[in-house]
Amino acid sequence: MASLVPCPHCGSRPKEEFTVKGAALKRPSPEAGADAWFDYVYLRDNPRGGYEEYWHHTAGCRRWLIVDRDTATHQVTSCRDAASASAKEHGA
Amino acid sequence: MADIRSLPALADRRPLTSPQVTLSALPEGTVLQVIAGPKTPDLTRLAGEAGLVARAIAPGQWFLVGNRPTAHQDMRRLLAMLEPDASGIDQSHGRVRMLMEGPMAAAVLSKGTAVDLDPTVFPPGTTAATLVGHVSAHLTRLDNEAFEITVLRGFAAALWDDLALMCAEYL
Ligand SMILES: [Zn+2]
Repeated sequence: MASLVPCPHCGSRPKEEFTVKGAALKRPSPEAGADAWFDYVYLRDNPRGGYEEYWHHTAGCRRWLIVDRDTATHQVTSCRDAASASAKEHGA
Repeated sequence: MADIRSLPALADRRPLTSPQVTLSALPEGTVLQVIAGPKTPDLTRLAGEAGLVARAIAPGQWFLVGNRPTAHQDMRRLLAMLEPDASGIDQSHGRVRMLMEGPMAAAVLSKGTAVDLDPTVFPPGTTAATLVGHVSAHLTRLDNEAFEITVLRGFAAALWDDLALMCAEYL
């Protein structure tokens, strides 16, 4: 199955041009405590369905993107530049 | 004094020529990478004054390219004019440009990249940073049947050989 990622800057590109970093999670506050930080660094859900991940368009625009894809069908429902995502939402 | 002129990366690759497609190395002139902040200077004007043309790479990034080397003083002047809203990094030593032309040029390139090269989607003047095979490359459509391919110098010979193979059926 071809996996095409709709980069907001480059258009539709194959997954081979990208590097996946992993789940795009809300970053805890610096004072959140060891447990919250441990979860943020190490704990991951493994959902069947929608999942937001950081993807780097390594062989294209070299921008960090947030790709929302379905882990079962690999259908991509949204792809946006990580810098344009709200700071509150992703703590960037 | 010893002759220390650099040897072009594709010095030993003869141009490939056929009525269908031609592949040739462009002169190792000037490649200046520019990174701009939110306020981008008028790069088309600055490039034009320096005898260069601007090619978009990504948001906030461009190559200013030309077939002739830029003299040290001219380069310093250009770098100074880019500041403070943008910065330039001379990549003339680090990137190599090739030219692929002919009615089958798009068909040949399509074997290596997933970029849609249909002229209605990727018209003359459009650029793309992409993979050609496994090699990161930068494409510019100069004309309906002409593409400039820019690649890191160390990959130039390997990409040339890949492109030559992709051209083979039309030579
Ligand atoms: Zn991109």
